[in-house]
Amino acid sequence: MKYAYTALVAVAVVARLLWFLRRRKRRAGKDLVPDSANGGAVGSPAAGSVTGSRRRTSHVIEDALGEVGMVAGREIRERIRGRIFRIGTLVLLVAVAAAIVIPTLHHSSGGPTKQTVGVVGRLSPQLEQVVRAAGTASQDVVKVVPERSLAAAKTDLRSGKVDLAIVGGNRVLLNLPASASSSPADPSLVQTVASYLGVLKAYRAGGLTPRQAGLVDNAKSAPVNTLQPSPKSTTTGTSVFGLVLLFFMLTQYNTWILIGVMQEKSSRVVEVLLATVRPLQLLGGKVLGIGLVALGQAALVVGFALILAKAVGSNLLHGTGPLVLACQLLWLVLGYAFYCWVYAAAGSTAERQDQVQTLALPLSVPILVGYVFALTVSSSGHPDLIFKIFAYLPPTAPFCMPVLVGLSQVTWWEFGASVLISIAGTVGMAVFAARIYRRAVLQTGARVSIRQLLARAAP
Amino acid sequence: MSGSLELQGLRRTFGSLIALDNLSFEVPAGQVVGFLGPNGAGKTTAMRAIFGLTELDSGSVRWNGAQVGQAQRRRFGYMPEERGLYPGMLVGEQIEYLGRLHGLSAAEAATATDTWLERLDIADRRNSKVETLSHGNQQRVQLMAALVHKPEVLVLDEPLSGLDPTGIDAIGKVLIDQARSGCCVLFSSHQLDQVEDLCEQVTIIDHGRLVVSGTVDELATSGGRRLQVRIEGDRTGEWARHLTGVTVSEVDGGAVRLVLESSVDSDDVLRAAMRGGRVTQFSFERRRLSEVFREALK
Repeated sequence: MKYAYTALVAVAVVARLLWFLRRRKRRAGKDLVPDSANGGAVGSPAAGSVTGSRRRTSHVIEDALGEVGMVAGREIRERIRGRIFRIGTLVLLVAVAAAIVIPTLHHSSGGPTKQTVGVVGRLSPQLEQVVRAAGTASQDVVKVVPERSLAAAKTDLRSGKVDLAIVGGNRVLLNLPASASSSPADPSLVQTVASYLGVLKAYRAGGLTPRQAGLVDNAKSAPVNTLQPSPKSTTTGTSVFGLVLLFFMLTQYNTWILIGVMQEKSSRVVEVLLATVRPLQLLGGKVLGIGLVALGQAALVVGFALILAKAVGSNLLHGTGPLVLACQLLWLVLGYAFYCWVYAAAGSTAERQDQVQTLALPLSVPILVGYVFALTVSSSGHPDLIFKIFAYLPPTAPFCMPVLVGLSQVTWWEFGASVLISIAGTVGMAVFAARIYRRAVLQTGARVSIRQLLARAAP
Repeated sequence: MSGSLELQGLRRTFGSLIALDNLSFEVPAGQVVGFLGPNGAGKTTAMRAIFGLTELDSGSVRWNGAQVGQAQRRRFGYMPEERGLYPGMLVGEQIEYLGRLHGLSAAEAATATDTWLERLDIADRRNSKVETLSHGNQQRVQLMAALVHKPEVLVLDEPLSGLDPTGIDAIGKVLIDQARSGCCVLFSSHQLDQVEDLCEQVTIIDHGRLVVSGTVDELATSGGRRLQVRIEGDRTGEWARHLTGVTVSEVDGGAVRLVLESSVDSDDVLRAAMRGGRVTQFSFERRRLSEVFREALK
């Protein structure tokens, strides 16, 4: 069944990829119409209908939010239409699918194998039960065949007719050592059979009846109780997978902001826009538009990951309970809301790609610190005081607070306090960034330094 | 539409550089006003000040007597010196978007975009990306961005630069039509012949200060009488340089343009010319805008 699901997902991804490539080819053909040729690229009804639903969605935002909504609507349309976004989303989905499916395939390859077991001597019901139980324990499908003699068993082992032989009910015979890569015998089955035969021999030596032996076999462990509830284990309380996605998305979406603001400045279109809208409206619309696209992409990826993980029986997301997942999505929004202003202000000081690269590195440092710290603590399960402090600082809280939630090391009011601090930090950052943006985005030429801007901003 | 755009006492400094120095002038509705000045005179700074794109140290911009704010600016159209469009966005969508930012509904923006695409003869490029257009067509799209919302004030910074004669004619006709429909049109240019053809009024600034302002007719008839004289074999106009009260304004291919002070008798000039050789032309001329410009900046 899981192979069917995997195939279905693979077909869906490939179909999407083919559709995208076809559409790209069609559009490229249209764009190649030379400028001097009249009548070549007149808008067709089909072209209108392709963008129709996308435009309807963005028009709802535009009608509700005025100029900010219009700017956001344009961002949404252009982002979704953009090649980078589509390829990026596809790559992300493929990467998520690979991360979920490949481990299950690998696990499957070590799973049920056919093992033929030759038995020299009498095949008692007890012995047969032991062989079958060993097969189940080793996830092997076991077939038991009687052997007329030890010599016949050796011949069958050499020819590969049987994978292992049980001789006289008290020893196991193999053609090659089970550890050898060319050995047909499953080492796990060999080990389990040998162990069970030993136990069976001990039962007989101890004089246990088959019923008594059955009772001993089915014995259950006694319950172990503790006075204090144990902390959740790191593997069930937190999700490394979620942290990686959070890091990737936060970095990607904020880079969109950085590049988007820089491109508006470098193309000088910002001068036309600011002749009719206020800087804060333009910036707010951009941040909102990219934020909605980001949230949509995040929801798509998480939804896809959950469905796929359930379908193929992956345990990759088992560590992520609904609470931790909701928490990580909330902190993705809060993290984006905080960092988008920082990146927007930085983008307004640059107007070339190389300047953007210079800016991106220092801006990503707090994100990287939070991410690495969160990864370390999520695997150790022991947050120290500094980590707990980081969970309340807006730049690092998006990574650290979900880990504390996963480890049950935070109360609701502490969580709420961290959210409030983050919102307050975001408001402060937005005011500061808008000030920088307003002054920097219309200054062209050399990159404007923050020091210059702060000097100008002083009364 | 009626009213006027007034720039009152604009002052803007960048460190020790004075970009605008108490600059005041008016753009009446229904007229095309040429905004002239040498490079660095402050034209672009003044135009950006109209849209709040540069902070003023003092002074104000008023429309129909009221201080210009964001609401008024939505009714203005602006074409900046450094062209600004989204390179990867489709032409039609870009114009509609800018129209909507200026207050048009989606339907109005779509209709206005189609109208202007037809009028500027680029309807076939509606679904092309801006970056795939030629320079001239990009210039047309930029003009459309300023016109799509039927502005009451149109401010264009060097709209004719880099255009071929056909493009200049097309854009020039649009500017005149806009003014005829009651719009205030202010545009800067270094192409003085085109300015003379298009404008009713001219404002010249230098070092951020107003130097000359008036109608083209007023300026053409002011500043002394103009004589254009041609003498066979004369290419330098040396014969006129020693005459009292006479200034050689221009020598162009044997045509010598003279500026006469009010006390000078033109018959005396004719006699001096005849002494220099055979006179083939002796006519009174209007003052050219290029002469107004040069003389204003002396």
